[in-house]
Order: sequence, then C-alpha cells, then structure tokens
Amino acid sequence: MSLDATYTKEIPLVEGGVSFKDIDRVIIEPTNTKPTKGWWIAFLMSFAALMIGAVSLVLTIYYGIGMWGNNQPVGWAFGIINFVFWIGIGHAGTLISAILYLFRQKWRTGIARFAEAMTIFAVMTAGIFPIIHTGRPWLAGYLLPLPNMNGVWVNFYSPLLWDVFAVSTYFTISFLFWGIGLIPDLATMRDRTTSKIKKTIYSVLSLGWTNSNRNWSNYERAYLILAGISTPLVLSVHSIVSFDFAVSVIPGWHTTIFPPYFVAGAIFSGFGMVSTILIIVRKVFNLQHIITINHLETMNKILLATGMMVGYAYGMEFFIAWYSGNTFEQFVFINRAFGPYAWSYWIMISCNVIFPQLFWFKKIRRSIPVTMVLVLLVNVGMWFERFVIIVTSLHRDFLPSSWAMFTPTLTDMGLLVGSFGFFFTFLLLFLKTLPLVSISEVKAVMEGAQPTVHPHPHSNGKQNSH
Amino acid sequence: MDYTKKPLPPIVGKIGFGLLGVGLLLMILAFVVDTKRAYFDYLWMYMFLVSIGAGSLALVALEYLVGATWSTPFRRISEFLASLIPLLVILVIPLIFGMHDLFHWTHESTLASDPLLQAKEPYLNVQFFLIRTAIVLFIWVLFYFLFTRNSMKQDISGDPLLTKQSIKYSAVFAILFIFSITVIAIDWMMSLEYHWFSTMFGVYYFAGTIVAAFAAATFCSVMLNENGYLVSKIKNNNYYSFATLLFGFNVFWAYIGFSQYMLIWYADIPEETFWVMMRMKGSWSYFSIGLIFLHFVIPFLALLPRSSKVKPKLLVVMSVWLLLAHAYDLYWIIMPSYFTKGFVFGWSELGFLMFAFGLIITVFKIRAAKTNLVPVRDPKLEAGLNFHLN
Repeated sequence: MSLDATYTKEIPLVEGGVSFKDIDRVIIEPTNTKPTKGWWIAFLMSFAALMIGAVSLVLTIYYGIGMWGNNQPVGWAFGIINFVFWIGIGHAGTLISAILYLFRQKWRTGIARFAEAMTIFAVMTAGIFPIIHTGRPWLAGYLLPLPNMNGVWVNFYSPLLWDVFAVSTYFTISFLFWGIGLIPDLATMRDRTTSKIKKTIYSVLSLGWTNSNRNWSNYERAYLILAGISTPLVLSVHSIVSFDFAVSVIPGWHTTIFPPYFVAGAIFSGFGMVSTILIIVRKVFNLQHIITINHLETMNKILLATGMMVGYAYGMEFFIAWYSGNTFEQFVFINRAFGPYAWSYWIMISCNVIFPQLFWFKKIRRSIPVTMVLVLLVNVGMWFERFVIIVTSLHRDFLPSSWAMFTPTLTDMGLLVGSFGFFFTFLLLFLKTLPLVSISEVKAVMEGAQPTVHPHPHSNGKQNSH
Repeated sequence: MDYTKKPLPPIVGKIGFGLLGVGLLLMILAFVVDTKRAYFDYLWMYMFLVSIGAGSLALVALEYLVGATWSTPFRRISEFLASLIPLLVILVIPLIFGMHDLFHWTHESTLASDPLLQAKEPYLNVQFFLIRTAIVLFIWVLFYFLFTRNSMKQDISGDPLLTKQSIKYSAVFAILFIFSITVIAIDWMMSLEYHWFSTMFGVYYFAGTIVAAFAAATFCSVMLNENGYLVSKIKNNNYYSFATLLFGFNVFWAYIGFSQYMLIWYADIPEETFWVMMRMKGSWSYFSIGLIFLHFVIPFLALLPRSSKVKPKLLVVMSVWLLLAHAYDLYWIIMPSYFTKGFVFGWSELGFLMFAFGLIITVFKIRAAKTNLVPVRDPKLEAGLNFHLN
C-alpha cells in the first residue's frame, strides 16, 4: 500500500479523477480501433523473427539437434538456457495475480492482466525448447506416464519428468486464472460493442455473465481459490527447474540454495520483462493514469529487492565453494569469474546486481528513461545468468581432455530470435483483441468504489473503508 | 482512538520471574554436573533468543519497509521483544568461554591434522570468529536503539518525518540483517560440524527466526488484545493477517527445509550427507520425522482453513506451538553434535528452555511497564485500526 507523505492517506491508484465510464472507454479502445502503423511495424518485426525461428525449428527437427552448437561436454546449452529464461519470464504474472492478491496489494490491479497474459505466452515459448531438445519431438507423448503398448514408462526419479508435470500444471492453472479474470471484462465488452460478430464472440466467452450478485460472489470465490492454488505453483515451477541442475553432482550445479535462488531470479526477470513492455504499452495506449509512475516505482523496488536476493545467492555460492574446501567446486567458480567466459559472468553480475542498485534513488525509480535502460539490462543479465550456470559449469569437465568451448550456431541464434518473435507475436495480438488492463478490478480500487457503510451508533460493525 | 495505558497483570511478572529463577537454578546445576552438555544447551537457548530478538527487530523493519498498516497497532510488541538484543551482548560471554567445548575447529590438534580445516582457517579462526560476532551484535544493538528511539519520540511528537527516517533505517537494516543472520547461522551452528556446508543454511535459519519472532508477536498481540490492553477497535480482520502470515512464513520454512534436504539426499555426496545421517542415527530418526509433523504438517493443517484464521484461541495455541517448534528445530540443528547416539531431553535442557521463556517474559514485562503498548501517535495507526479485509 502506498501512503502519502503524512502516512495517513493512500495515494490514489488511478490518477486524474476519471469516471468509471472513462475506464471502460480507454481500456476497451485499443480493441475497437484499427491497428496503427506502429503496431503493424512491431507485428511484422515479431512475425519475421517468428519465421526465422520457424526455419530454425524445421532445420532442427529435420537434421536433428546436431544443428546446434552443443558438444561434448557442453551437452546443454541454448535450448535449456532459453527454456529457463522464458519460464522465468513467466513468473511475474502469476506472482502479481496470485501472491500479491493474497497480500492484498491493490496496486497489482493495474498490471495484473497484462502480466498474466505475458506469463501464458512466455510459458508457451518455454515449452517448445525441452520438447525439441528431446531430439524426436514427435515422440513427446512418451513424456507423460501413459500406459502404452511398448511398455515404455517414465522415470519418476528424474527432475526432467517433474518439469513436465510442473510446467503443464503451471500453464493450465495460469490459463484458467487468466480466463476467469477475463469473464467480467468480456461481458463489459459484449455490452458495449455494436458489431454483431463481436457480440456473439464476447457472449460465448463471457459465459452468460450478468453482473448479478451471485455471479460476483462465485467469481470472487473462484478467484481466491485459484490464487491459493497458483501461489505454491509460483514457487514450485522454478524450484523444479532448479532441481534439473541441483540434483546432479556437477560442481557449480549442485548447491542447496538453488530453489529459492531460481525463484527470486525468475521474479526478477519476470518483473524486468513486464516493466520493459509496460513502459511502451502505457504510453502507446494512453494508460498513464491507470498504470501510473507509482506502479513503475513499486516494480522497481521489487526489482531492487529480488536483484539483491540473486546477489546474495551469487555471493553465497562463491563463499561456500571456497569454504567447502572442495577444489573442483572452487575451480568452477574461479573459472566462471576469470576463465574464458568471464565476460558473461561479469555481464550477469553487473546487470543483475550492480546496475539495479541505482534503484535506491527515488529519482531514478521514477525516471522512465533510466528505468527502461535498467530493465532492459535486467533482461540481458538474466539470460546470461542461465548461460553462466549452464555453459560455464559444463565446458571444463573433471578431465582436462574433456574441455571445450561452446559456440552457438546460426540455428541456435535463429531459435533464440524466434522465441522472442513467438512471444511478441502473441503479445501484440493480445493487445489488440483483449482488454490489457482488468476493467473490473481497476474500478474496484478507484475512489468511491468501496462500500461506504456508515457505522450504526449502537453497533460495533465494520467501519468505513477510508 | 481510545487507548489508556494499563499495567500488565502481576501474574505475568510472576510467571516470568518463576521461569527465570527456576531456569537459572537448573542452568547453574547443569554447568556443575556436565559442563560440555550445558554449553550445548546454552548455545541452543542462545540461538532461540537470537531468533526472537533479532527476528522481532526484522519484523519491525519489515513493517516500515513494505508500508504495512495493519500491523502498526501491534508494532510495539515486536519492539518489546527486540529488547532482548542488548541482553544478547551479555549472554554471549559464557559461549565464548565454551568455544573449546562447542567447536572442534578451535582445537590446535584438529587444525594440525585436518587439511580441510586448514583450507577454512582464514575464516574459521577464533579471532575472526569473535570479530564477526561482535560486528553482528553491534549492528543489531545499533538498529535496535535507532528504531525504538524514533518510535518513542513519535509517541510524543507524532511527527511523520520520524516514520520516514525509520523507513530509511529499515532499508539499510534489511540488508544488514540478512547478512548478519547468515553469518550467525554459519558461525554458531553450521561450524559445529565444520566439514559440512550448505549454501541454503543461512536462509534456513532466517526462515526459522521469522516464524519464531512472528509467532511470539502473534501470541502477545492476541493475548493483550483479547484482554483489553490494546485499542478496543481492533477486530478479527487483523487476526486474519496474523494467521495468514504465520501460515505463510511457516510454509516458507518448510519449503527451504525440504529443498535443502531433498537436494542433499538426491545428490548423495558423503561430504554433505553425513550431516543428515547424524540426524538419522538411533532415536534421532524419530526426532527428525517429528520435526516434519510438529513444525510443518500440524500447523499447516491447523492454519489452512479460512475459519481458523479468525479464532483467537487457535491463534494463541498455534503461536505457542510454533515457538516450541522453532526450539525443536534449533535442537535438531545443534544437539546431534553432542548427543551423537540418540536424542536426550533431560532436566538440564528443560532448565535452559525455562530460562529462555522466563527471560523473554520478564524483558517484555519490564518494557511494557514504562511504555505505551500501542504507538499512540504513529501516523499509520489510524489506517491500521480501520483495517479490514476487502
């Protein structure tokens, strides 16, 4: 909760004294207008990137993952880096909509819907990579523990299988959560549109919503339950992703702090991406009074906090590597910081730990250009974090005869570019088809939306909300 | 605001003094009978007091840092509990004398024969160890005085600038606290088995301190409020927050504990597993399973239902439960280094536990005698009193 300078009043979440009607209008407008030139340019660029990815994907599937730069000993590289990177991006949405909901952080309403949509697209992007990394994606069905005539069964001891469960559960719940949150807004759009086709589509999607008391109380209940289910998922997904590494006995991978460290990193990168895109979107769609500078400032505070959490983990890993007295562990960390991939390590440290320290200053937290630069760096830093963890731990194996450098191929780069294309293509389509801010939730936190029950002189009942 | 200061009932002081007196007697007896065992018990008790004292100060800082208002009417309670911190400086002295009994790595002969210890020697040496402990205690004492001084001043002036200043302190303290609690955890507990290491250990202890400090705050808040020592306006909605956060912090502890255990179990490297194996030996295996149920499963089930979050009686029971669970957890961390064959809980351990609780109650009582139990002129108080869900 943001309080004003006297610490007695809440700062209004929606600025400019707009009416409820204005909220409907300004949020729905992007879905009613024809795409602008800017949107088309962005869309074509994303689509081109997606096509580059598609070509790389076809090459990968046709010729096999030999098209990638993976070698011996670097058996995991871009495929897994991109997977972890995108899963991480997908953490902000559910954190904002579930955990911040349970913590009653009302400011979340302005950004929740958008972040949830981003989560879904990011998880979809992430899901591609492990499937193609199997080498025979047409056999991906065997990842599920289903009885089959070959008697092939999954290995329940493997965290890679836990990933299958964790990611698919996460996707399903996030999708349901997002879909349920959309229902009242779709009903609002249904009621406002004049186009017959749109009316039919919105009517179907809003499941006969009538804004009745009963509708709302069921909705609130469902929302609360889904928030409760999603909250452990936010922690579990990235914890399980971290298990992929931490259960092994590879120096640099096996360390007990990995689960919370990965979760903090995921939230960090997720907020980085939300910020990056929202800064542009709020400007383009004139939402500066709904997604205010206070929202950006709060997100910057979260970035500062989570950035320091990953910094703690980096420090702790280094210290314990030394403290353990284990020479292999020590070698991996010295090699990370001063070996041939030192540049990637220092990109990671500076983007994730050093530069975000600028957020200590209120002026910088509230400066949009500086924030933009810093959040872009967070995105870069978090991609390199996964690069550092995966590649530098593998490339110098126990025996110096098994040392090699990893060089990404064109196909690797194509898939990375393609993943951004895939993500942004969906995101741009979302921006023009669905309300990117939750209309009903924003209205609920506006001035005058709260029930004002005047205390009865003889009762000890609930007080006025302000 | 209808707060009038009332002195705590005399029974509180009696219980506190009683526990303190009997505890002290048993402690002295324990040192006479078995010095080494008494030092381990003492370390256990000391870490419990650290959890409550330093953890409570962290909760005070947390309220300022995140701008919470619901907890403002109860902040004094955590401030009172944090006043254990100055005592920690005195209470650490016997431990320094017991270092030889507690820590194998302080022995010259061990150092000479153990290359792994030699590798750690730049960190694990008595001099640096004491410097670190001194720095940590200094940080805690400093911030304890900074926070309480501002809070006391505000009771008179009501100046919002004091809140602003405390927010700044809390940002600095948040970082220092994480750093210091990690150092304390590694030094005083992890180094009992100096071969063992876990990057998660600092976080694990941190998670436990927060549960314990929050449980203590919950217990005192609910008891005082139910008996009319706080502002009469405070209703169930504030209890809901206590129960939710108690539940949340405890789940976080379980998550950290599970992750640490699971990764050690799965990787199965002897240099890490021996620490877990020590806790599987003899009756310790039952003790370890007990930890899962007492610290996680039962509180989880008790605090999960929405209806249970507004029951003051349940909150009182569960907060005492979790306080004892934290003591159990610390026992599980510390004592296997002494009771290597199986766990033992005798009159000596009981004495130390009584002393810890007696000290907490007495300190609380002394502080509560002089100060308002509610930060009466805190600008956030009104919002905290009017707090309700939805």
